Amino acid sequence: MQTVSLNSVGMTLDACIKCNICTSYCPVSEVTDSFPGPKYAAPQSERFREIGLPLSEAAADPNSGAPGAGHSPDASVDYCSGCRVCNEVCPTGVRIAEINARARARMVATQGLSLRNRLLGRNELMGRAGSFAPGLANFILHNPLSRRLAAVLFGVAAKAPLPRWHHETLNRWLARTRAQRLRSERKVVYFHGCATQYYEPFVGIAAILVLEHLGYEVVVPPQNCCGLPMLSNGEFGAAEGYHRRNVASLADYVRAGYPILGTSTSCTLTLKEEAPELLDLEDDAGSQSLKFATWDIFEWLRDGLDQGQLPSDLRPLNRTEQPFILPYHAPCQLRAHRIGKPALDVLARIPGLDLRESHARCCGIAGTYGYKTEKYQIAMDVGAELFDYVAAQAEESDSVAAGSVSFTACDSETCRWQLEHGTGLPSLHPIELLAASYGLYDLQARRPADGN
Amino acid sequence: MLDLLIIGAGLTGLFAAYTAARAGLRVRVIAKGMGATHWHAGTIDLLGYLPDVEEPVTNWMHALPALPSSHPYRLLGEETITKALGSFQRLTVAAGLPYERAHANMNLPVASASEEQTPHNLEPDGYVRDATPGQNCQLISPVGAARPVYLAPAAQLAGNLEDEQPLVIVGLEGMPDFYPALIAENLQKQGHRARSATVALSPLTRRSDNSPLQVARMLDQPAAQAQLAKMVVDVVEAGERVGLPAVLGLSAHTRLLTQLHETIVDRGSRTSQSHDGPRAGLAVFEIPTLPPSVPGMRLDTTLRAQLARLGVRVEIGMEVCGVGATNRRIEWIETETGSRPLRHRAHNYMLATGGILGGGIRGDRCGRVEETVFNLPLSAPQTRSQWLRPLFLDRQGHPVFQGGVSVDARFRPLDQAGAPVYDNLWAAGAVLAHTDPIRERSREGIALATGYAAATAVASGL
Repeated sequence: MQTVSLNSVGMTLDACIKCNICTSYCPVSEVTDSFPGPKYAAPQSERFREIGLPLSEAAADPNSGAPGAGHSPDASVDYCSGCRVCNEVCPTGVRIAEINARARARMVATQGLSLRNRLLGRNELMGRAGSFAPGLANFILHNPLSRRLAAVLFGVAAKAPLPRWHHETLNRWLARTRAQRLRSERKVVYFHGCATQYYEPFVGIAAILVLEHLGYEVVVPPQNCCGLPMLSNGEFGAAEGYHRRNVASLADYVRAGYPILGTSTSCTLTLKEEAPELLDLEDDAGSQSLKFATWDIFEWLRDGLDQGQLPSDLRPLNRTEQPFILPYHAPCQLRAHRIGKPALDVLARIPGLDLRESHARCCGIAGTYGYKTEKYQIAMDVGAELFDYVAAQAEESDSVAAGSVSFTACDSETCRWQLEHGTGLPSLHPIELLAASYGLYDLQARRPADGN
Repeated sequence: MLDLLIIGAGLTGLFAAYTAARAGLRVRVIAKGMGATHWHAGTIDLLGYLPDVEEPVTNWMHALPALPSSHPYRLLGEETITKALGSFQRLTVAAGLPYERAHANMNLPVASASEEQTPHNLEPDGYVRDATPGQNCQLISPVGAARPVYLAPAAQLAGNLEDEQPLVIVGLEGMPDFYPALIAENLQKQGHRARSATVALSPLTRRSDNSPLQVARMLDQPAAQAQLAKMVVDVVEAGERVGLPAVLGLSAHTRLLTQLHETIVDRGSRTSQSHDGPRAGLAVFEIPTLPPSVPGMRLDTTLRAQLARLGVRVEIGMEVCGVGATNRRIEWIETETGSRPLRHRAHNYMLATGGILGGGIRGDRCGRVEETVFNLPLSAPQTRSQWLRPLFLDRQGHPVFQGGVSVDARFRPLDQAGAPVYDNLWAAGAVLAHTDPIRERSREGIALATGYAAATAVASGL
């Protein structure tokens, strides 16, 4: 049984000085009355929840007489999207989003989990199931009738930007191109995450091509879902199982000193911090070793850049004289790493690239949040700030004929899909741009430059 | 490599970054969270009270010699303070959020003027050109007390209590954190002609517990602006100026201010009792509220936008957890992340983390008082019994709030022996010693003037 303990998350609530900065910047409470705001849902309400008591069925019933009875979090906690903007702006270091995530887990433990939320948490299972017959899976999931049915029966929003299965998984591409893969003494481990494996293998391919160009052999060991979709939906028990399996399967590489690099900012954040913190694994030696071995791929590349190890054979991406204007959004999941904007630091080296940083707080999707019928519109309203920014860049560039905006860039997969949904422009992972600038990758076709 | 890494994103850090970037330095700002700008009234309070003097300061230029010689203002002198304020005023005018003196004739703000243009009361060299330089005005606090203020945004100036025009304080039913009756009563006790009125937000929102920020966002919508102007004008009597909570829009603030002013003036000119003739100031003004402070957020947003234009990145969510120094130079600092610490390198570093309120200084239960980033020597008492005087509102203030980092004339932190601790470290703002910004009502003046001076000192050394 999951317990809520006084760990580093819970202790931070005493640092709250009630200044309201979190609520001022919360993108969700700005657009809906369903969520009262981070201060009210987390530090303020948390005081009235019985911390340190095991969760039980009885605790949900105010008349049961059980310890903590009736002190279950109120339903508004479920409207926190988990974007962590509150943590970012808090001047005193309260782990607000994590307090909310733990409160949601208490609700799930006492009230159960809907089938929809259970399915949305099973990203890996869904991905694998569809990958056996991607064409069929895409037809079944994406035809209007099934989207309508999914909305009515499960509460998955009909218009939500669900991903499409790619015709080839990353693992199959790796197997097919095994002979061409670089062997080297210098090795890194690549953590691809479910989305890259099943929906966007080209992001992983771009990463592998760049790392090989730098002279590294890329090891892709068997791996699980990082567990974040389950953590976001309050299913902590299952998430812990997935996390522990990842810790075990990566342990030998971590021990051997290989860096674990990821292109999915939410997966790497989970390995670094979310899983150990939310699941009370901060004293678990394996989790801790993995935490310190994990890098966002651009965080690691920037480190190499600072040490002068990044090859400088970067070519312009623009084929014409016009500059390549690229609106870039640093997703909340990346900002929650607190590592700055490493993709901006590295991409700034590409000649002729006019990077425009969005200062939007959140794209709205927040993992699986924007997929849910009751939250779809909230997610779109939150994202409007970002969509408007992209539109403004496109408009401005047309008017002065200084170049066109044909892509956006963002480090996180669900955010890219939301960006595409909200702007109509294809959205790239920054590693695709870097790979293209090294001449290794075709941006339009989203596949290796050699066609493989 | 960066020329200057500033730690702290309050008014001090952001204005120092602006000053340094304009001087051609490569600058970045990092901060643990958003700055204390979000809690203050949005005005520039320069010097409201002298130590141990009950009466407010009427002219800060005259009052400077009465400050202790170690006070940051005495290190700076009138000329540097004036230059800093001039630079700040030019920034705000260019950004469409003009800060002015109450005694200068007020015009409605005009957005997007060129940064090279100067406010009408400023010479290009930054000297204030008016008959009463240095003179404070008296604006209204959220409980109706008089606040000595030097510069204020256009929206607050018409609240100057030195003006005798009668006041109506209008509250909003549906925004509980504003108390028009209390304000009016306190103003009456001070001899002002004031009354209160209330308009209901119910035509605009179903919510009954709106925060100031929620109302401000709502009032960015043109329909809501027209509705508010209509409701407000109905409770105003001829010849009155109208005090409203500081919620008059965020992004469309100027438009709402203009609409309210014009609606009230139109109505006044159609009323027979109105015979005051055309007035110089606006017919409407804002009174600061409890946090979150909408005027503070407007100022913060304006500064950030200027910094973005200058290519300065402001990274929030970064808390310093390590410092590397050799001899008297800081080589790097590290900030906490989700995993390994992130190392930052720069030629120079500026501490702009604030005082106890901003998180730059921390006291513990045992009475120790520490500077939180570099553990610099502090002038604060290290014994808990000496932190505070017995009376909460003691005229001399409290020793713990007066403690801070001592600096030399170039704003480099000093050790106990009076020598710079590091050759490439600078400090500015509320973290400084020998000032009590809350008691003195000098928070923003200290922030702007010392931030400007420290950034200028860094630039002059390169």
